[in-house]
Amino acid sequence: MRLFVTAALAAMTITPAAATQVALTNSVFVERVSTDGNGNRKVVLEEPKMVTPGDRLVFVLNYRNASAKPAEKFVVTNPLPAAVQFAEQDEAAAVVSVDGGKSWGSLAQLRVRTADGAERAAQYGDVTHIRWAFNQPIPAGGTGKLMFRGIVK
Amino acid sequence: MNNILKLRTGSVLAAAAVLAAGPAYAAGTPSSTVITNTVFVDYQVGGVSQTQRTAADSFTVDRRINLTVAEVGTVTTNVVPGQTGASTAFTVTNTSNAPLDFVLAAAQLAGGTAAHGGTDVFDVTAFSLFRDVNGDNVYTAGTDTPITFIDELAADASVTILVVGNIPLSATNGQVAGVRLTATAREAGVTGTQGAAITQTVGANTAGVDTVFADTAGVADAARDGAHSDDDDYTVVTAALNVTKTSRVVSDPINNTTNPKMIPGAVVEYCIAIQNTGAAAATNVTIDDSVPGQLTFSTGSILLNGTVTGSTCNADGVAGGTYTAPLVEGTIASIAAGTTRTLVFRATVN
Repeated sequence: MRLFVTAALAAMTITPAAATQVALTNSVFVERVSTDGNGNRKVVLEEPKMVTPGDRLVFVLNYRNASAKPAEKFVVTNPLPAAVQFAEQDEAAAVVSVDGGKSWGSLAQLRVRTADGAERAAQYGDVTHIRWAFNQPIPAGGTGKLMFRGIVK
Repeated sequence: MNNILKLRTGSVLAAAAVLAAGPAYAAGTPSSTVITNTVFVDYQVGGVSQTQRTAADSFTVDRRINLTVAEVGTVTTNVVPGQTGASTAFTVTNTSNAPLDFVLAAAQLAGGTAAHGGTDVFDVTAFSLFRDVNGDNVYTAGTDTPITFIDELAADASVTILVVGNIPLSATNGQVAGVRLTATAREAGVTGTQGAAITQTVGANTAGVDTVFADTAGVADAARDGAHSDDDDYTVVTAALNVTKTSRVVSDPINNTTNPKMIPGAVVEYCIAIQNTGAAAATNVTIDDSVPGQLTFSTGSILLNGTVTGSTCNADGVAGGTYTAPLVEGTIASIAAGTTRTLVFRATVN
């Protein structure tokens, strides 16, 4: 899945203050799906100005290694906001947590202990954190984009 | 500012599957909630861990106005002529993601088809609205309180509203009176005060809290108008009694019981049959019959609650009733809908 962001994003940016820094841009969009008269699906991302429960959200994280050296053991962790249910992540390499960040794995691997002591397979609604861990260093000046989807509870 | 997202087919299917399995949010996240997503990055440079980087993005959940008015149950309210405080119950549910007031309006149908298929032919009197305080879905005088608007109804909460009226004595079996309840969302905020009317946010979305009407069309209101409505009805279910009186000669002093004739000294048996052609039991049915002056009542001959077979009086039943010259009187406790019961007595020709 590719995301083409053609316009400037009104998002908060942490500006690097030192030389060995990584720059991050974290953005949220509302995903609106419409079908035209010919039955063609059209998906539009809007700024999150009109958001009501049930709306689908796309979270986008842009990163850039602004330093002159490679950034190693690059790990991006995103706790889910309490009012958002996880829907899907874009990167197959991402792992999720259903216990507040204590243990990690793919959703299919994770189990949830229920109130009566039994265990069941983890579901989308159980996800509390998403994490991307990079095997390769991010080279100096290297950039990339991570994204996942959620639904407003 | 719109951004076009291109999706691979597989991803579209995956997204659709997620949607289908997605949670159903009635009210959902309260409006004005600020959702902040924060991301953390840990990394090393030259084998040395660097300061953790974070980035955050926030947006505000807007206000979705939605409500449901629905009759309680799926059947008409059965009433009898002259009944006071007859009620039909509705629930008003706030499925918005914000607390709201709801102004209530009740109306009576003027003809047309009522909620359960009958034709509206009469109106109830003393038409009014009450809050169902004791939660039994019927009007209880002195307990349920008059109401014109629902005050400060929380998201996902509901209130039972009773539409109450008196049934005219002139109403007849099977007649229907249709009623309608409409609730319209109003601003909440001040307890005990009906809030101001709500309008949708028009024009461009704002970064603040916008208002969106998301309600469906009710029986008498449009979709996305901040209001919802439903119908219910009263159906008159009452007894309808037909009375027939028959007599036969039981015996005479000459022929005894063989082809007896109506001569002085003959015994005559009267049968008063009460047929209930209505839809409800008639109770405490009291029958008075005046014995003609040419006859002498046979003491102890009154039989109550007897039956008929076809049009033939079976002259059965239980002894009872009273005779106070010239009146024979008896009371039948209950005559069920669709049945016939009799009062039988005998007298002698003077």
